[in-house]
Amino acid sequence: MISAFFIYNQKGEVLISRLYRQDLKRSVADIFRIQVISNTDVRSPIITLGSTSFFHVRHDNLYIVAVTKCNANAALVFEFCYRLVNIGKAYFGKFDEEAVKNNFVLIYELLDEVLDFGYPQNSETETLKMYITTESVKSQRAVKEDSSKITIQATGATSWRRSDIKYRKNEAFIDVIESVNLLMSTKGTTLRADVSGQIMMRAYLSGTPECKFGLNDKLLLEKDTSHRGLSQKRTNAVEIDDCQFHQCVKLGKFDSDRTISFVPPDGEFELMRYRTTENVNLPFRVHPVVNEIGKSRVEYRVTVKANFSPKLIANNVVIRIPTPLNTANINIHVDAGKARYVPAENSIVWKLSRFQGQSEETLSGEAELSSMTVKKAWSRPPISMDFQVLMFTSSGLMVRFLKVFEKSNYTSVKWVRYMTKAGSYQIRF
Amino acid sequence: MRVKFSKHLIQFYFITMSSNMRGLTVFIADIRNCRVRELEEKRINKEMANIRAKFKDGNLNGYQKKKYVCKLLYMYILGWDIDFGHMEAVNLISSNKYSEKQIGYLGVTLLMHENNDLARLVINSIRKDLEELNEIYNCLALHAIANIGGREMAESLSFDVHRLLISPNSKSFVKKKAALTLLRLYRKHPDVIPATDWAERIIVLMDDTDLGVTLCVTSLVMALAQDNLEAYLGCYAKAVDRLTKIIVDKEYSLDYVYYKVPIPWLQIKLLRLLQYYPASDDHNIRNKLHNVLQTIINNSQDAPKNVQHANAQNAVLFEAINLAIHLDCESQIVNQAVVLLGRFITSKETNVRYLGLETMSHLAACVDSLEPIKKHQDTILLSLKDKDISVRRRGLDLLYSMCDVTNAKAIVAELLRYLNIADYALREEMVLKIAILTERFATEYQWYVDIILQLLSTAGDHVGEVVWYRVVQIVVNNEELQEYAARTVLIHLRSPSCHENLVKVGGYILGEFGILVANIPGASPMEQFNALQSKFGMCSQPTRALLLTTYLKFINIFPEIKGEILSVFNRYRHVLDSELQQRAAEYMAIATMPTDDLLQTVCEEMPPFPERESALLSRLHQNQSDTEDKRTWVIGGKDFNKDRDTVRFSTLGSRSNSTDSKSKNETANNGNNSNDGNGELDFLRDLEGLNIGGQNGQNGHTSTSGPLPAGSITPGSERWFGKLLYNTEGVLFVDSQLQVGIKSEYHSQLGRFALYFKNKTQTTITSFTTVIEHVKNLLITTPQQPATLISPSGQIQQLFHLECQNLFKETPNVRISFISGTLHTIVLKLPIVLTKFMEPIELNGPEFFTRWKQIGGGSREKQTILQSNVPIDLQGLHSMISGFRFGILKGVDPNPANIVGASVLHTAQGGMIGCLMRLEPNVEAHMYRLTVRTTNESVTNEICALLEPQLTNNSS
Repeated sequence: MISAFFIYNQKGEVLISRLYRQDLKRSVADIFRIQVISNTDVRSPIITLGSTSFFHVRHDNLYIVAVTKCNANAALVFEFCYRLVNIGKAYFGKFDEEAVKNNFVLIYELLDEVLDFGYPQNSETETLKMYITTESVKSQRAVKEDSSKITIQATGATSWRRSDIKYRKNEAFIDVIESVNLLMSTKGTTLRADVSGQIMMRAYLSGTPECKFGLNDKLLLEKDTSHRGLSQKRTNAVEIDDCQFHQCVKLGKFDSDRTISFVPPDGEFELMRYRTTENVNLPFRVHPVVNEIGKSRVEYRVTVKANFSPKLIANNVVIRIPTPLNTANINIHVDAGKARYVPAENSIVWKLSRFQGQSEETLSGEAELSSMTVKKAWSRPPISMDFQVLMFTSSGLMVRFLKVFEKSNYTSVKWVRYMTKAGSYQIRF
Repeated sequence: MRVKFSKHLIQFYFITMSSNMRGLTVFIADIRNCRVRELEEKRINKEMANIRAKFKDGNLNGYQKKKYVCKLLYMYILGWDIDFGHMEAVNLISSNKYSEKQIGYLGVTLLMHENNDLARLVINSIRKDLEELNEIYNCLALHAIANIGGREMAESLSFDVHRLLISPNSKSFVKKKAALTLLRLYRKHPDVIPATDWAERIIVLMDDTDLGVTLCVTSLVMALAQDNLEAYLGCYAKAVDRLTKIIVDKEYSLDYVYYKVPIPWLQIKLLRLLQYYPASDDHNIRNKLHNVLQTIINNSQDAPKNVQHANAQNAVLFEAINLAIHLDCESQIVNQAVVLLGRFITSKETNVRYLGLETMSHLAACVDSLEPIKKHQDTILLSLKDKDISVRRRGLDLLYSMCDVTNAKAIVAELLRYLNIADYALREEMVLKIAILTERFATEYQWYVDIILQLLSTAGDHVGEVVWYRVVQIVVNNEELQEYAARTVLIHLRSPSCHENLVKVGGYILGEFGILVANIPGASPMEQFNALQSKFGMCSQPTRALLLTTYLKFINIFPEIKGEILSVFNRYRHVLDSELQQRAAEYMAIATMPTDDLLQTVCEEMPPFPERESALLSRLHQNQSDTEDKRTWVIGGKDFNKDRDTVRFSTLGSRSNSTDSKSKNETANNGNNSNDGNGELDFLRDLEGLNIGGQNGQNGHTSTSGPLPAGSITPGSERWFGKLLYNTEGVLFVDSQLQVGIKSEYHSQLGRFALYFKNKTQTTITSFTTVIEHVKNLLITTPQQPATLISPSGQIQQLFHLECQNLFKETPNVRISFISGTLHTIVLKLPIVLTKFMEPIELNGPEFFTRWKQIGGGSREKQTILQSNVPIDLQGLHSMISGFRFGILKGVDPNPANIVGASVLHTAQGGMIGCLMRLEPNVEAHMYRLTVRTTNESVTNEICALLEPQLTNNSS
């Protein structure tokens, strides 16, 4: 398992260094710095040098690195790294170099708790917050409760939840957040389109509630329809390629009849992650026309069309249109939003704060080029987009129900929100 | 003093420079503040876009261009691609401001490589700057040439660089840079530089008063001389002179003393330069050199104070020892050196040990007697166990070189023992060397076989193919060896661990000579077969193929084991490998034929191998192929080095017969030029003159592809030459700068003459050098080189000794070069002819006629009738004939107007030759009849040829 754990800043300075096993020396940190951070060619998150493997995750301006000498489960190691980032965020609000530098002691304490001899342990933020505290980070209840309760919870069957939670108003919020990835060829055919989604839940429920959660999952619905002999509902169903649940979800039940039932932790948590690749609704269509006229000019005409219902509105739409590397001057004209040439990124950045559904906007412009000593063809990197569309899911996923069962049988209020944002949304031209 | 910029230097440069360019300062500060590469990239992209926009707009003033090019360069040295702005850099070069020009050059040298198309655009700007009067511009241009240095640039600019180098108006630092630039161009494109044409002018610069210039020029000469030994012969004397000055006379400026050693770099370069040439014949030079070397060795006696001092001192010393070895490896100095070396190889310093061993192996590779080195044999053997691998390597080389019949056994045994623990990197070479030594110094066959088989079994994988090929070759060719070899190899084959190479040797030897030992107990055919068969399984495919062949031979010589062998063949007829399968099938077919005829023919005993050069040696020498320095010697014995030397110096062999055709051209030009300038430094005119010279040089270079025609003499010198044929003293040459006089005297085959050089100008003549172009059978030596300086109106003289060894036809030339304003070269014919070595004799009438008749007519007599261009002066005629060293015999001829002469020609090796002549002038008709009789046909012709032109043109 994990033999050592390091956190570097972007320059490669070691901020946190924790060894869990004897099979490594502290100087192994230098190897990573030289081989990965200083080496711009390495982009792979995992690299094996000799018999030593380095797993790294970049977050903000930090490198979070786990090192192992054995054939560890890579998915597990990465999951742990991301989990650590989440713990950091929960504790310090923002997990960056500044936060690490201000909280050395706490971070070492956390690392000792979540990893034991290199094996990941309980990494549930809420639980950790009960017994790893500082002045700034303190669970409200931590002081009140005696340590025996902590022990019971930390070692009990539902380690993620205490039994004696009480709310006056029982509420549950569900956010479905999807990021849509697209790669479109110059001819307009979709080379790759997929959606990775996340269902976040904030539960403020008393007691030990048992929740049931329903989606328009195709497999589940088909099972139902075959029972009932109905077929019209099939059109709304979504095929989920793979999904991943919070530890509170009873996987046995999901495996047997695909129902999602769980006892939620208190507060915010990520209930589920999923991915779909079929029938992706692309929120935007882009038609770029880019002509290189001779060696000294490039003409642009980029049309963007919103493909969702006119009732919805996309926010913070940013379209980045690359320019040749030898661009000297640029003239742009747009009808909506603001467009300007950003030389630092070698691209035209077109920003629209609102984009009505079914509407269409056009950018036209011209770039003047300077002459080059070595004539290199322009690589034409793809146009990329960034946006957010509320109440829209690219996958078409819907929350059908959330039922809460509790011994006291209180009524609870549930809220659902949907949002689609751009992952890597790229259009070649 | 390197021509190239180092990147750190440039960075520093930027920082200091940016103090007066605010935009640049801000930009650099911005970049430095970028904590991450991504941020830096953004900043760079932004700046590039800005610069592109600015350049696109045009209308930039020099300052702005400079600033933007600077920014681009800064980005470039940070590692970003710069693909524009080259034109702006090129434009900056032609700016009039130094700072802008400098940035322009910096940009060009950094951004362009030699094959860049834009480099062509720069050539004209660079040429302009080379022609500038401003030395700093010259230097910038030289830097650019050295840094870019493409072929096109070399072709079009090397002449300008050369001009800067030789121009008397160039400052020292320009000369230094020009020399190094030329060196760099030469290394890159040797064919572009007319090395031979420039030889003289470049060699002269070795006399420069500035030691820095001398150092740079010497580097250049070293490179050029290696490829053009003959043309650069003049540097030999110069190098010796310079060494004498530095080491013996201690003439140097204190700036160049490095830890008490005066300019060690120059010393080493000169010492090495001398090693390119064979030892000089000239006593004077030899003595000087001896003196220099002796002084160096004496100097090394006192212990150095610190590391740097020791390094400098040792570097010079080792190079001096190398030179001493090169000159004469039996000399007294070398003996002293050996003692020193013996001390060095026991030194505590690894470097010193290394150098000591290396030099010692150089010595061992050259000397006849290895005795002094053998004294240190134990120390050297110990060096094999040194903790430093390079020292071990040198130790190995030395052992190899110092091995001879007497110590071969000890050394080989030690090497074999060491082989087991030696470094892997060293083993292959060791194996080769052991194999060669064993073969070369083996006195008894048993020893050879034992050692080689032991080598094969211990070294295993490190034994190359050639080694065992050679073993087989030797065993086959030496009948006495065969039985012992077969017996021993069988014993080795039986040992459990037996290397594949040994199996190969065993297979071959037993197949051929197994029959010789078949009667010995324990070596019966069956046992031989089993020994091989037991190893069969673990061998690779080629070895198995070889063993199959051996088995076929066994069938032929031992029919009794045919059954077992056939079963092996049968098995191998079905293996997958096609080679083995085919062999097995074919051998099977041959073995099972009804008659044995074919088998016997096929398996007849191998004929001896033709003698050829040992493949081992060529392999070893291939490993140490020539490096850049052609002075190299090879380890391992005198003979190899001798061969190499003869090849290397073969170009020098014909030096006495060919002279440089170009010099005529050049001196003509210089003559004109110097007449105009007449000592005054008329700068422009000098430059123009030089330019013409340069271009002519170019023409000369292109036209002289074939062998150079001999005898290109400075025009105008002939008129004095004629008279001096029959006078002992007089003027040899006069022009506006120099007057050359000669005085000579002869006694039989010996003679001596003195040349007087008078400076006719008002300036000091520097770098004065004379070189005698020798002719066959005439020995000319000079006891001392003349001074290199002639003060205004001053005079110096040089003495030469002559010895006529045998008949010679050509006249020797003297090549005089000096700097008076510019470089001048004068080639003069020396009035030294065969007649000078005649002694007049007195004969009376009867004696004369007896001899006259004895010689007789035919080819020994030559009679010509000549028409004189001027009235005949009988008195003058008498003195001329006696000037030609004939004794004039009175009263022999009945006609008193006729002149009869007799003399004897003395030669050291060809003996004495009697010469008689009769001249019958006809005053009225301006005619002569000349009759010459000598005891040697060619002497007759030679005397006629000498007399005729003087008679016809006699204007005295």
